[in-house]
Amino acid sequence: MSTVESNPVESDFLASLLAPAAQTAEGHDLWLKARRASALERASALSVPTTRDEDWRFTDLSMLYRLKLKAADAGGQVDSAILTTLMFPEATTRLVFVDGHFDRSASSIAQEEKVRVGNLEQALRDSAWRSTLGEVESRLATVARVEHDVFAAANTAFLREAAIVHVAAGAQLGDTPIQVINVATGHATGSNPRVLVVAGQGSGCTVIEDYVAVGGSAYFTNSVCEIAIGPDAEVHHIKLQREADTAFHIANTTVLMQDNSRYRNWSVGVGGRISRHNLHVVQDGTGIDCDMHGLAMISGRQLADTHSSVDHALPYGASRQVHKTIAGGSAHAVFNGKILVREGAQQTNSSQQSRNLLLSQRAKVDTKPQLEIFADDVKCAHGATVGQIAADEVFYLKSRGLSETAARNLLTYAFAKEVVEHIPVASVIAVLENHILEQTRTKEA
Amino acid sequence: MSAVIQNLVNQPYKHGFHTDIESDIVPKGLNEDVVRVISAKKREPDWLLEFRLKAFRHWQTMIEPEWPNVKYPKIDFQDISYYSAPRPKATKKSMDEVDPELLRTFEKLGVPMHERAALAGVAVDVVFDSVSVTTTYKEKLAEVGIIFCSFSEAVRDHPELVKQYLGSVVPHTDNFYAALNSAVFSDGSFCYIPKGVKCPMDLSTYFRINTQDTGQFERTLIIAEEGGQVSYLEGCTAPQFDTNQLHAAVVELIALDNAEIKYSTVQNWYAGDEEGKGGIYNFVTKRGLCKGFNSKISWTQVETGSAITWKYPSCVLLGDNSVGEFYSVALTNHHQQADTGTKMVHVGKNTRSRIISKGISAGLSNNSYRGLVKIGARADGARNYSQCDSMLIGDLCGAHTFPYLQVANKTATVEHEASTSKIGEEQLFYFSSRGIETEEAVSMIINGFVRDVFIHLPMEFAVEATKLLGLKLEGSVG
Amino acid sequence: MIKDNASEVLKVQGLTATVDNREILCGIDLSVRAGEVHAIMGPNGSGKSTFAKVLVGHPAYEVTGGMVRFDDADLLELSPEDRARRGVFLGFQYPVEVPGVTNGGFLRLAYNTVQSARGKEELDPLEFDDFIREKMELLEMDPGFLERSLNAGFSGGEKKRNEILQMALLEPRLSILDETDSGLDIDALRIVANGVNQLHTSEDAIVLVTHYQRLLNYIEPDYVHVMENGRIIKTGDKGLALQLEDRGYDWVAQEYRERAA
Repeated sequence: MSTVESNPVESDFLASLLAPAAQTAEGHDLWLKARRASALERASALSVPTTRDEDWRFTDLSMLYRLKLKAADAGGQVDSAILTTLMFPEATTRLVFVDGHFDRSASSIAQEEKVRVGNLEQALRDSAWRSTLGEVESRLATVARVEHDVFAAANTAFLREAAIVHVAAGAQLGDTPIQVINVATGHATGSNPRVLVVAGQGSGCTVIEDYVAVGGSAYFTNSVCEIAIGPDAEVHHIKLQREADTAFHIANTTVLMQDNSRYRNWSVGVGGRISRHNLHVVQDGTGIDCDMHGLAMISGRQLADTHSSVDHALPYGASRQVHKTIAGGSAHAVFNGKILVREGAQQTNSSQQSRNLLLSQRAKVDTKPQLEIFADDVKCAHGATVGQIAADEVFYLKSRGLSETAARNLLTYAFAKEVVEHIPVASVIAVLENHILEQTRTKEA
Repeated sequence: MSAVIQNLVNQPYKHGFHTDIESDIVPKGLNEDVVRVISAKKREPDWLLEFRLKAFRHWQTMIEPEWPNVKYPKIDFQDISYYSAPRPKATKKSMDEVDPELLRTFEKLGVPMHERAALAGVAVDVVFDSVSVTTTYKEKLAEVGIIFCSFSEAVRDHPELVKQYLGSVVPHTDNFYAALNSAVFSDGSFCYIPKGVKCPMDLSTYFRINTQDTGQFERTLIIAEEGGQVSYLEGCTAPQFDTNQLHAAVVELIALDNAEIKYSTVQNWYAGDEEGKGGIYNFVTKRGLCKGFNSKISWTQVETGSAITWKYPSCVLLGDNSVGEFYSVALTNHHQQADTGTKMVHVGKNTRSRIISKGISAGLSNNSYRGLVKIGARADGARNYSQCDSMLIGDLCGAHTFPYLQVANKTATVEHEASTSKIGEEQLFYFSSRGIETEEAVSMIINGFVRDVFIHLPMEFAVEATKLLGLKLEGSVG
Repeated sequence: MIKDNASEVLKVQGLTATVDNREILCGIDLSVRAGEVHAIMGPNGSGKSTFAKVLVGHPAYEVTGGMVRFDDADLLELSPEDRARRGVFLGFQYPVEVPGVTNGGFLRLAYNTVQSARGKEELDPLEFDDFIREKMELLEMDPGFLERSLNAGFSGGEKKRNEILQMALLEPRLSILDETDSGLDIDALRIVANGVNQLHTSEDAIVLVTHYQRLLNYIEPDYVHVMENGRIIKTGDKGLALQLEDRGYDWVAQEYRERAA
């Protein structure tokens, strides 16, 4: 994303994307206003990426740039019966955002000691939040870097409403997840969902960040999720991207970790015409441990692109990453995973695997796992494979009486299941497994 | 402990002498006239001058690549002399007439020329600065129809072959340095293996840059006709100057049905001093085209020299069932930077490729592996296996791996594995507790690390390469 | 086999050592004579593995006091490789993996280095091959081991057998076997112990460092020492090992404290 001249379609898109942000100047606190303003300034100075940018070589957004988007001033109406089907029963706290706007009536917030969950707009006015606002201020729009990311900058330029999860030091939410549902109603809208999770020292929580659609036509979701994990804290983060097949979904997840903290991520993407997930984990302390499990299951003309980076800055860090893609039809899966081990990050133990399954003749995958290592006492390994379902495995199943199709579906399912099965929320596993089963049945090319 | 290892890797450059030979040098600078002068000096036919001019005009429209993971000040292409030749005394009829100073130079380098060539049984072409000075064993090779000569001689004696294949694998538009080379290349080696002939001996070229502020732009072309086989070796050295010198070669290989070309390089250009001053910029384009059914091209490289190396010997696997291989050891020390790897482009059906890359980083150096495996939509049953291992010596160096896997065929199988290791205190202690000295332990670990690559070198070169790694990595234990 | 007139192989007096300025060995006294087998037992963290590593000169430990005599030499003055050449051998608890270096090549280099230091004949690859195969039979090892990378990807049992194979090759005067029984199943334990017993003669001495009594059913010790907090706090015969098996370590420590008070 350089600042060179871009063509009119691209610059018009950016201008119209940012226009509403500039119009609404009234606001709340000064610090938030300042952050919006500087993000707007940055976004206006950048240009939107094209396939000429190395980081976007395979992901052509020109279709998005030709869309005439309108900002959703308020959330659309969503049938509560439909919403109910989207909720995971384990989550007693749910925040519902429709087209980026908080839907208070659809949300439910369980009151827990030492845990604050709510919409930013209310939090700024609510006295119950007062003691936690300092930490919100220090983390919101500072964890995610916007200098080189025009989409994250644009999101921040609109920052008014956001799902805020604040877990105080020592608070353990156990197996009770918090679900943030972002519903898109379609109709050429552009929305900027935002999530902030702050986990205090020694705390533990599970957050489900969920993107769903109830409308059909093309629309644009431009989300940012910031997670700040304090010393010895543990966050489980499940990102589900179940957008419509017509959607453009661009997401930035940035995780900032302190000493001895743990982060476990599951990112599953099945929707979107074009989806892109930028996942950055910064290990800003010693003895940090993170693992990431990614799955993109796509078909038709879908493109799913994941760019991840893990930044090991200090000693004794560990990271494990497995990213799997399954592409059928004419789908295109892209993965770029970077492991950076900085000078002095001795005793880092890092592994990264990119596993890709092509189901059809027209599907393709581009993967680039990369290691950049500046410390000598480290153990790093990465691997990548691209292939189809192993013929001898199919044969084995057939020899046990399964049909060719059934054998292939079962093996595809098994490939995907490995990513999904350790998600700590049973109903999420059930929903995803159902989805995978359905996909293997109906979308096999 | 780290002091021990630092000592082990800090060996002075042994080929850093400069030979006083009168040279015929074209003044610094580059424009169309210089291109014409080079062509005229070499008495080239018009079609070749046209090729050069076309390349030069295209080069002027290009910008230097910035994507490699290397850093260096901008090169002033007008501050380089594009042609330097040892001034000929008279036309040489035999080796005895070659400038004795030159022969001594190659003796110092350990080049098996002259009688030593006969003993070693290797045919050698020697390129000094930009010009091929002598080719041994020519007659014997001619008996079986093999042409092995300098590029200039090939232009003169076999223009139809040169015309047919020059630029067919690396077009003059390919990249910035290939375009530059196409405009100003001076000499290099040419090799033609006729149908069904297995070359009876290894062919070898030694390259040396001697003059300060000259660039070396050699051009190598090897063609193996149906069923032909050849093993070709290339060695490179340069004297020590504290200015940087540019080396931008182009190598093109063409293998037809069932033909096999094995190309081995031991690159030990001057790497600059301990502060990173001087040294060669080694920006090279090497590519082989497996044009025929069941053809095979195999690259083996041992890269220990150069201040900066930017090099991706590649294979285009066009013929069905063709095979591409890349075996590489790249060692960097002090301020050296290497961004090297390969491209395997699978076009034909059932094509196979194999990549084994071993990077060793020491001192303040940076060593990057960059490799592309591309499987085209029609490459049914294509297979690739890549393994990239890095070893770090000391904690001030960097090792980087950038594999690009692009697959557009579902029947393809592509596997990439990479690992990073170090020579650690515990390993060295284990050796010493069995009575083995640290120095010997380091050399054993390094040799073990590179073994998978060295077994693919011809015996002669394997010995030389092992010695070279030893020179770079061993020394007095402090 | 205790013989009254046997020469003293190892004499340790008041040995103290630290790692990162923490004292791990706090004054160890030990005398080992030719032909003897000593077992050093103790709970985790008692310093027994440290003691073994200090004897072979591991650079992570700093000797801060005391003396160690090996035959007529001041052991602490010697480099690790000189100790090995003179016949001190450590069978590691966790042998390191060295990918790329073949086991066979490594064994031959170690063997020839030690042989030449002792003024004995070195073996060329073919002779060595015959020689090593014979030794491998003793440990029921497959010759395929020689082609694999040194310890890389070896199972726990394979690593331990490879250590004892090196002991067989280097013919040490003093063998220190650090937790050689850990990670071994019963068959492997029997094979390893059998190998050690066959290698042991009246001319060399063995120090077994172990956590469990199990190994001592197979290799019978002449002396059993109990270590705690960097000291040997009790010495007895093999009966002591059985007592430890029954009653644990606490009572020994209790007894020691009472004596000290």
